[in-house]
Amino acid sequence: MKTAFQYKEMPISIITSVAFLSITGLIVLNSISQHQESDFINNPFYKQCLFFLPAIILAFFTLLIPRYNIHKYTYPLYIIGIILVLLPFLGKSHANTYRWLDIGLPFKIQPSEFVKVFIVLALARYLSDHRIKMKKFNSLILPIFLVLIPTLIVMNQPDLGTAIVMFSPVFPMLYWSGARPFFLFLMLAPLFSMLTAFQTISFTVWAVVLGLVIVVSRSRIIISIILFFGNIFLGLLSPYAWNSLTKYQQGRILSFLNPEKDPLGAAYQIIQSKTAIGSGGIFGKGWGQGTQTHLKFLPVQESDFILSVIGEEMGFIAIAIVLLVIGFLITQILKRAYLSKDRFSSLVLIGIGTILLSHVFVNTAMTVGLIPVKGLPFPFISAGGSFLLSSFLMIGLILRLSVNYSD
Amino acid sequence: MLKAENVAKIHQYYIALGITSFLIIVLLLRFFQLQILDFDQYSKKANTNRIRKVTTSAPRGLILDRKGKILVDNLPTYILNAIPGEISDKGKTFQLISKIIDIDSLSLVKSYSKYYRGRFIPTRIAKDLTFSQISRLEENRLNLEGVYYQQFPERYFPSLVRASHLLGYVKEVDKEIRENLKNPSDYEFGDIIGWSGLEQSYEQYLKGSHGVQFYQVDAFGREAGYVIDFPPLKPDPGNNIITTIDVNIQYSLEKIMDRKRGVIIVGIPETGEILGAVSKPDFIPDLFTGRILEEEWNDIINNPDKPLVNRFNQGLYPPGSIVKMITEAVLLDHPNFYPDSTELCEGIYQYGDRVFGCWNTKGHGRVNLTSAIMQSCDIYFYKTIAYYDLDKIASYFRSFGFGSETGIDIEREYIGTVPTVEYMNKRYGRFGWSTGSLLNICIGQGEILVTPMQVFNYTNILATKGNTFSPHFVMSNEFFSSKKPLLNDDAWERIIFDMNQVIINPKGTGKNADPLINGADIYGKTGTAENPHGEDHAWFVGWINYENQKYSIVVLLENSGSGGAVAAPIAKTVFKELIKNINLAEK
Repeated sequence: MKTAFQYKEMPISIITSVAFLSITGLIVLNSISQHQESDFINNPFYKQCLFFLPAIILAFFTLLIPRYNIHKYTYPLYIIGIILVLLPFLGKSHANTYRWLDIGLPFKIQPSEFVKVFIVLALARYLSDHRIKMKKFNSLILPIFLVLIPTLIVMNQPDLGTAIVMFSPVFPMLYWSGARPFFLFLMLAPLFSMLTAFQTISFTVWAVVLGLVIVVSRSRIIISIILFFGNIFLGLLSPYAWNSLTKYQQGRILSFLNPEKDPLGAAYQIIQSKTAIGSGGIFGKGWGQGTQTHLKFLPVQESDFILSVIGEEMGFIAIAIVLLVIGFLITQILKRAYLSKDRFSSLVLIGIGTILLSHVFVNTAMTVGLIPVKGLPFPFISAGGSFLLSSFLMIGLILRLSVNYSD
Repeated sequence: MLKAENVAKIHQYYIALGITSFLIIVLLLRFFQLQILDFDQYSKKANTNRIRKVTTSAPRGLILDRKGKILVDNLPTYILNAIPGEISDKGKTFQLISKIIDIDSLSLVKSYSKYYRGRFIPTRIAKDLTFSQISRLEENRLNLEGVYYQQFPERYFPSLVRASHLLGYVKEVDKEIRENLKNPSDYEFGDIIGWSGLEQSYEQYLKGSHGVQFYQVDAFGREAGYVIDFPPLKPDPGNNIITTIDVNIQYSLEKIMDRKRGVIIVGIPETGEILGAVSKPDFIPDLFTGRILEEEWNDIINNPDKPLVNRFNQGLYPPGSIVKMITEAVLLDHPNFYPDSTELCEGIYQYGDRVFGCWNTKGHGRVNLTSAIMQSCDIYFYKTIAYYDLDKIASYFRSFGFGSETGIDIEREYIGTVPTVEYMNKRYGRFGWSTGSLLNICIGQGEILVTPMQVFNYTNILATKGNTFSPHFVMSNEFFSSKKPLLNDDAWERIIFDMNQVIINPKGTGKNADPLINGADIYGKTGTAENPHGEDHAWFVGWINYENQKYSIVVLLENSGSGGAVAAPIAKTVFKELIKNINLAEK
C-alpha cells in the first residue's frame, strides 16, 4: 500500500496544458498593459503575475490533503459555501451587485468562484455515498436541490453567468452516476418547450425531437401521451403568458437574462469584439499591434473579452491552439474520471470538467456573438484573482484525485 | 478508504467526449467564419470604420421659485478635451494652451492624469472656459492637434438670494462616487450629480439622461461622421422643479439674518409650503462650482460657526418655552383640570429635594393657564404637571411631530430627542434620574432636543388645529398630512387664544413681535432656551393672519439672549417684510 502521494503518477498532460494556457494569458495581458498608464497594482499584467504565487501554493496545498479528508469535509464545506455566498448581501453593494466580499484586502473576493467547487464536492459525495437507486426518477430530486440552493442565491447577487456555471455540473454528474438519460431529458424538456415556442420552425423541430425521444424511451402509453402533450401545451401557452406580462415585467426579465441594461451598450460590445476577432485573420496583427484592443474599442479586454485580443493580435491559429489545448485538457480530465477506481473521485473530476467546459463555452460563445453578453472569464487566461485561485484549486483537486491508489 | 466503486461505463465516457468535442468544434467553426471567411469585411471595418461612443451630458433641470423666477440656472461653459493618442508632444501642447488661455499648465497636467482612461478616449484637461478663451484657442487650431472643446452646462445662480442650504450643491462624478452609486450606468466621469439640498433630493427629476453618439473614426482616430447603424441619441434634458420659495421673501429673510447666527423659516401653515428658509451663517452658492478662490474656501471650511451645516434640518436645540403649548394640551386633555383656577408663583418651587426657579425670579404672583402662557411662567407648569408620567408627556410631544422626521424634502434630517422613561433609564441608569426631570421637559429644557424644521411643523400644527401637511420646499401634491394631536375644539381654541394674548397683552412676553398693522392678527410664543454651551438661544414661533391668509414663522437666534427681547423684534421685522411683499404682489 502506498502511503505518500506519488508525484510521478501525476498526469503530465494536464500540468503542461495548464502551464501553456497560463503563459498565453500572461503574454496577452502584457500586450494589453503596455499602453495603460496606471500604477503598479492596477496594471492587469502585474496583478495577474502576483496572483499566480498564491494560486500555485493553493494547488500544491490541495495535493497534500489526503483523499479521505477531502471526502470527509465535503458537507461542512458545502455549508460554509452557502454562508460565503450569502455574506456579500450583508455588506455594501458594488455597482449594485452583491458578488464581492470586501475583507479589507486591497482587492475584493468573489466567494461564488470557490463555492462552485464546494458544490461539486458535496454532490459527488452524495451520489457516491448513498446506495441510491439512480434508475428511479425520485432519486434525482434531492441532488438537484442541493445545487439549486446556492445557485439561486448567486442568481440573486445577481450573477447569472456564475449561476449557470454553478448549475451546469448537475446533469452530467447525475448521468455519470447512472441516472436514466430519459429522465434527465424530461427535466430539461419544459424549458426547451417554453424557449422554442417563440418561433414556429424551432418549435416544430423540438416537437419532433420530443416525440422521438418519448417513443424510443418505451414508456407506458398513457405517460407518453401526458408527457408529450403536456410539453406542447406548455410551449403553446408561453407566448400568451409572455404577452400578458406588462412591458415593465418583460423588461425586467429581459434585462435579467441580458444584464447589459443599455441595448446599444451590449450590441456595441459584441460588434467591437467581433470586429477585433474578424480583423485578426489567420495570423493576427501581431503582439501589441491590435488596433481594436489598444484604441480601447474592445471592452473589458483583460477578462471577459480577452479571447478577442488573442483573436485580433495572434489570429485564428492561436485561437485554434488555445481552444484545442483547453479541449484537450477537458478530455484528459474526462479520461481520468473514467479510469478512476472510486466513484467519488470520478464524479468530482466530471463535475470540475463540466465547470471548465461551461466557462469556456459561455465565455467564447459570448465573444463571438453566439449568446448574449454574460460576464464570465476564460479559465487560466482571463485576469481575475478569485477566478485564478479557484481554477488552481480545481487543478489541485484534479491532480489529487486522478492518481489511483488507496490512502 | 473510499469504497464506492466507479460505475462509469465506456459509452458514457464516449458521450462525454463527444459533447465536449462538439462544443469546441462549434466554437472553432465560428472563429473560422469570422476570421477567415469574413476576414475582408471585418478587416475593412477595423481599419476604416472604427466606432467611437461619445456621450453628451444633458442640461440639468432648472430650479424655480413659486412664481417661476429662476433660482438655479445652467451657464454654458466650455471644457477642453485632449485625445492623448493624437498629441505628439504633450509638454509642448500644454505649454501652448496655458499661454493662450492663461491657465497654469500644472493644472492641465493634473486634470489630464485625473481623467485619463485610454489613449483614444477624450480626456478633460480644463473646464469653465469662456467663449473668448475658446476663440483664442481656435485661432491656434493648427498647433493644437488632438485638442477639442465641448460645451458643458455648469450650475449658476442668477437671483440675489443665496439659499445655499436648501438649493444645495452638485458634485463632479469621479471614480469613487460612481462606484458607490445605485445606478452607476447613468453617470459618466465628469458628469455632475446633486450632492446636497434640493439638488440631491430631486436628482432623478433634474438630471435628465445622456445623449449617445456613435462616431465613425478613421485609422488615425479622427471623427468622420455618425455610424448609420446607431443613430445618435439626443440628450434628454432634466425636468425643472418649481419650489415653494418666494424669492422676495427669501431675500428679505437673508437680509434680516445678515451677520447673525440662527434660523428663520416662513411658510404657509395650511399646506406646509415653505416660502423662505435661512440658516446662517451660510455660504455663497458658487462655493462648489470651483469658480471661487482657495482662500475663500478655506475661510468657510475653518469657520468655527460651521456655515456648511444646514441648521434647519440638522441643528439640534433645546426648545425652551415654545413647547409650553404642548404642556397646555396635556393639561387641557385631563377632565379634572380647571384652566381658570390659579397657582401661586413666587419665583421658586421646591420639588422633592430639588429647587426649581421661574425665569422671573421675583415671581408672577397668582397665575391661571392663560396668564401662565402669556407670561411664560414656569412654576405654574411645574405645579400642574408634577404628577403626570413622563411617557404620557412624551407621547404628546410626539403627536406634535417631535422625535421623528418631518418628512422635509431635503435629505439627512435629524430627529432630535424626546425623552421617555426608557431613554432616561438607558442614559442615567434606573435610579440615576428623578421624576423632577419631567418638570424640565415640560418647559422645553433638559434632555429634549428639536430641529427648527420640527418647530416649524409644530407651529403649522398649532396654526391649523392639526390640519397641516409635512413641510416641503417643492410644489407637489405627493406630500403627506402631518401628524395630528387629538384635541377637542375647546382646547385648540384656548391654545390659540392664549397665543394671541402672548402678543397683544401688555404683560405678554411676545409683545415686541407685534408690527401693529391694521388687519393683521398675530399669534405666537417666545422661548429662551438655556444651553450648556454659552448664552441662551432665543426662539419665537407663531403666525400672522393677514387678509384671511396665514403665514407661520420660526425664528431662532443662537446664543443671543431671551426670546422676548431678541427673537420677537426679529419676528416683527419679518412680519413687516411679509406684509410689504404681499401688498407689493397685489399691486
